[in-house]
Amino acid sequence: MKARYKTGLIFFPAYDWKISPTHPEREERLLYTQDQILEEGLLDIEDIYEFKAGFASEEDISRAHFCVPDVSSRITPSHNISAGGCIEAARHVLEGDVKKAFALVRPPGHHSMRVVHGARGFCNINIEAIMIEWIRHHYPKIKKVAIVDTDCHHGDGSQDIYWHDPNVLYISLHQDGRTLYPGSGFPNEFGGPNAMGLTVNIPLPPHTSDAGFLHVIETLVLPVLDEFKPDLIINSAGQDNHYSDPITAMAFTAGGYARLNDMLCPDICVLEGGYSIEAALPYVNTGIILALAGLDYSYIKEPDLDLDQIRDDPKSLEYIKQLCEQLLIRWHEKDKLKDKYSSGEEYSKRNKSIYYDTDGISETQTEVIRICDECPGVFKIDSAASTGYRILGIHIPHGACKACRDKGYEWFDKPDSEFYAVYLQDMDNDIFKVKK
Amino acid sequence: MILGVDIGGTHTDAICIKTGTIINSAKVTTDKENLVGSIVGAINELDIDLPKIDRIVLSTTLSTNAIIEKKYGLTGMIASAGPGIDPKNYFLTDNFYLVDGAIDHRGREYVPINRDQITTVAGKLKDKGITGVGIVSKFSVRNPLHEESIYNLISNDFSYISLGHQMSGNLNFSRRINTTYFNTAVMPTQDVFMKSVSGALGKLGIMPQILFLKADGGTYMASAANRLPVETIMSGPAASIMGGAALNKDKGASLVLDIGGTTTDIGLLVDGVPVMEPLGVSIGGAKTLVRGLNVLSVGAGGDSRVYTKRDKLFVGPQRDGPPAAMGGKSPTPTDALAILGVLDFGDAKKAEHALSPLAHAMGKDLKDLAKDILTTLAKGIKQASASFIDELNTKPVYTIHEMLHQELIRPDRVIIIGGPARNLKPYIADVFDIPCIVPEYCEVANALGAALARTTAQITIMADTQMRRLVCPEIGIEKEIPSHYSMDDIKTFGIKALKDNASYLGLTDALDVDVVEAQSFNMVRGFSTAGKNMRLKIQSTPGIIPEWR
Repeated sequence: MKARYKTGLIFFPAYDWKISPTHPEREERLLYTQDQILEEGLLDIEDIYEFKAGFASEEDISRAHFCVPDVSSRITPSHNISAGGCIEAARHVLEGDVKKAFALVRPPGHHSMRVVHGARGFCNINIEAIMIEWIRHHYPKIKKVAIVDTDCHHGDGSQDIYWHDPNVLYISLHQDGRTLYPGSGFPNEFGGPNAMGLTVNIPLPPHTSDAGFLHVIETLVLPVLDEFKPDLIINSAGQDNHYSDPITAMAFTAGGYARLNDMLCPDICVLEGGYSIEAALPYVNTGIILALAGLDYSYIKEPDLDLDQIRDDPKSLEYIKQLCEQLLIRWHEKDKLKDKYSSGEEYSKRNKSIYYDTDGISETQTEVIRICDECPGVFKIDSAASTGYRILGIHIPHGACKACRDKGYEWFDKPDSEFYAVYLQDMDNDIFKVKK
Repeated sequence: MILGVDIGGTHTDAICIKTGTIINSAKVTTDKENLVGSIVGAINELDIDLPKIDRIVLSTTLSTNAIIEKKYGLTGMIASAGPGIDPKNYFLTDNFYLVDGAIDHRGREYVPINRDQITTVAGKLKDKGITGVGIVSKFSVRNPLHEESIYNLISNDFSYISLGHQMSGNLNFSRRINTTYFNTAVMPTQDVFMKSVSGALGKLGIMPQILFLKADGGTYMASAANRLPVETIMSGPAASIMGGAALNKDKGASLVLDIGGTTTDIGLLVDGVPVMEPLGVSIGGAKTLVRGLNVLSVGAGGDSRVYTKRDKLFVGPQRDGPPAAMGGKSPTPTDALAILGVLDFGDAKKAEHALSPLAHAMGKDLKDLAKDILTTLAKGIKQASASFIDELNTKPVYTIHEMLHQELIRPDRVIIIGGPARNLKPYIADVFDIPCIVPEYCEVANALGAALARTTAQITIMADTQMRRLVCPEIGIEKEIPSHYSMDDIKTFGIKALKDNASYLGLTDALDVDVVEAQSFNMVRGFSTAGKNMRLKIQSTPGIIPEWR
């Protein structure tokens, strides 16, 4: 057997790391997946390569996050290697060693926002965002990136990090936030004032199965991607939409995941959630790897699969169809959204309350962005957490105009005593400063 | 007295050892049509007191050649797979039959076998005149039930049957298919060979213990070789690397270079123990589960073709017949050695004649060119060695501990063996920045390696305390265990099982047994611990027999 696309696999199951002994995010999580991958002989297939994971540096993490009080306090080596595994996957793709890559790493990252006071939704740092920022820094030819998040939970962290970035399209398919953690990801969340329409949320009703998911991909995600023309497509490949997942209520199958991947044809996949470690992950991951490599996945099937039991409800399918139509209309009209929602002021402000469920921390944020027609716009986040830390984070985006850059440095240089620390991310100059 | 005989493609080398010293060695030309004759010829050449031989270790290319040249009878395969990659991708011939049956990664049966279907398949195989059948099911190392049930249905119908789970405890369905197929295919060959070797030795009036060298650099008794002949494949490179281990007992990492005519085999010893392939060796492009040494073979040897391209000198990777000094067409490193006057064979005039045009074209003195050729060869070998070590050092690891504390391999020395070793040493020592050693007897290192290698075996154990099951596929153990069974219990059980089954596994003794891998996972279902999933590998350690010095 020979892969149609050269495919790299970074497998890092972190067999010696857990959140707690009985937590879903524990040592055993990828054990049966590894068994299946080995027994199927996936690594023996010509042009499928396994690469060693790596370490993300403090600088790599600082490109995506303001870690409070500092990077080393917020992570363990496992997070470092998980993010480093994604970076290695990206490196091998961008160096041309392989056409596609899958970072099968843990722990996950898509609930981690730009400011990190602790862990939420099993995530400490956002492994996709760290990877994407690593790519943008090392490979400036990559201008536009699309994230398609197929985890069952809304990737509120990835959405937060790219909320204002018109060059990173964030699309999320997830179980409706009214029925599942983190309770966000509604269609009316569609991006910040300088990136309106570039966040696309598709909340799906519980029990959505293959027909529903694949309809969204075909009629909404693919047309949107066609138009956005990203240089790179990243799939946040969470696997908890599976019908056997213990903490969600969807009805997607391993074959469906493989088909989704085949249709989406992402450059890099990153494992996110997925906690049906015996009944789903071994089959879903095998399916995704085969689909990535452009190989036949039609024989991938869960031992207990009964399609009649999990078929989409016709009413739900109808709802999904209408939702996709409406979202596609809004996508086409996204350029008009800025005028429609603009107040005509120079700055736009939003307040947020964030709860870190894994660590039990509460945070309140006030974010101010400069409305800018020249660039993605400088912004600052004033963040206070129940841990007692209050910080100010300033982000000068890729391609910042002079006015935004000057404003960013003006904010940073202003003497402020109410903050524990003031952070600066100057993306174009790759400068990350912390003033304490 | 121990006799080591390495039956190579060109030569058969024999060596005789008594109480830790080499008594004599011999080299005869291999008669490919009569390997047993070559063995007897080499033994006669040794000129020793035959009745004193108590052990003879054979390293043969019999199975290797049979597989590569497809010299075996029609062989049938019965495989059950269940969902996954389409198993038809792995079918090697038309005599493969896919049957019902599926087992999952924990060894649970979810599609049973169909007895009528199997009887029908067996009938078809018999009608084709097939006498050997391999039986394989996916995840059989987690539960051999289907392979064993199929075996029970057809065992009276065929002379040679091998079962996938007995080949290796490692997971890999396609390699299990290849390994089982090849094993079944060469069983008759091994059978005939073994009978004829015993017969020939009987005629010499001796009845020594007969052992075979395996790909892992260990040996096993003839009874086990009859059952698992596939393990003798690729034993040639293993013989040389083990020869290196016998000839240099220094601690640390030793890079072993076996320089031959066509290729150089590169292997590694860590404290005298050879480094293995993670899953198994490949043969003729097919990947197997046969445990074997990790050896990189590069096309750089004494007889490699020397040529220039855009004024740059190249040595190998092709070989174009014998060196010019031996009557060949193309110049080779051997010719370079002849020009430098260090060869005790060959015609230096012919070598000069072959290299002169090159020297002229490059505007070089003939002796300078000869030295350049040998340096180029040495650099090529060094470069290959570096990528070999680099590959070992970038092998993926799966725990944070290993990521943080991985010790990189840095060879402490180079052990050079093989025909041209002595003459090439100065050039190789020049490009490596670590000590290079050419041990005494380096020309017969392969036979020495065979004679001195220990018997080896490895077993795999998986224990699942939630299902209260323990499986050890290599020796066919399946038993119920108590839910409180611990890793220590499994270790004790495994070590005893290996010792109790030593002779079945082909071991002459099981003195040095160690646990090479041990993993234990808490299995959590819902929010409470439901059991432990434990995996263990136990082996009798490869190395050199203690009698040697």
